[in-house]
Amino acid sequence: MRINLVALFFGLTFGFAFSAAGFNQYDIVHRTLLLQYWAPWLVFASAIGTAMPLLWILEARGWHTPLGGKLTPKRWEIGRDRVLGGAVFGVGWAVTGACPGTVSTMVVAGGLLGIVPLAGIIAGIVLRDVMVERAARHPAVDEVVLVR
Amino acid sequence: MIHLIAVPLPWFIVGPMMGLSVVGLYALTNLHLGVTGAYVQFVDRARGRAVETWRFWFLAGLLLGAACIGILGPGPQSLLGYGALGRILPLGALLPVLFLGGILIGFGARWCGACTSGHAISGCSVRSPGSYAAAMTFFATAVAVTLAMHVVSGGRL
Repeated sequence: MRINLVALFFGLTFGFAFSAAGFNQYDIVHRTLLLQYWAPWLVFASAIGTAMPLLWILEARGWHTPLGGKLTPKRWEIGRDRVLGGAVFGVGWAVTGACPGTVSTMVVAGGLLGIVPLAGIIAGIVLRDVMVERAARHPAVDEVVLVR
Repeated sequence: MIHLIAVPLPWFIVGPMMGLSVVGLYALTNLHLGVTGAYVQFVDRARGRAVETWRFWFLAGLLLGAACIGILGPGPQSLLGYGALGRILPLGALLPVLFLGGILIGFGARWCGACTSGHAISGCSVRSPGSYAAAMTFFATAVAVTLAMHVVSGGRL
């Protein structure tokens, strides 16, 4: 339960900052991707610039978290899945001006149409899972690998 | 509605706040902050699989944070508006475009393992090589496609 409350708290701070940055507004995201508006790029850079050194220090010191054992950051290897999946994601992001974090916060902020890409995201997740399961049953047909 | 907070807030406030959220969640629970994982839990629950409960709580917090901005910020977004895209596309065309775009987002995020929060912010913060690759790919693709849309629409988008 304590883990859930911590997750709730940091979800709140993240959602607050996310919405305060205007990431749940199509025009802000679109102008960012058009390279006409630079503040969101600085948001990304400053978020990483804040978190990276702190996590680096914690990991280097062998930090033991109070609720989850030793700090073991989740890392992915570079691979085809990262690049191809990232490209598909990028096309959808460009078309809708939305990402998984923005659509739900868009709806909460009153933008009812955010429900439509949200439904699409759920459908896309299901579609990918079904494809992976089919590939697992018929490995000769496809060699898609499940990545979580 | 109270209008205590101007949106967007300066990058040097919201950026570090996001970064500290990633650090706080890791430092206390050893969990990787990401939003797509929360949606995956809904799918997993519907399909009878085991779920990670904390992700539902994280999503609830995310929505509460957005609601705070909705209350303290300049006011709600246009109910049926969708920015410049909504101005150039009639509703009948806008809905399928948004749905198909959403499918690409969900499919791509599931394929590459995470999204902007999980890869670009959290993953890059923990120096994950795959996150660097994914983030660079989706940023480059999104910029290229957006610029192409701008040209094709004659500058209206």
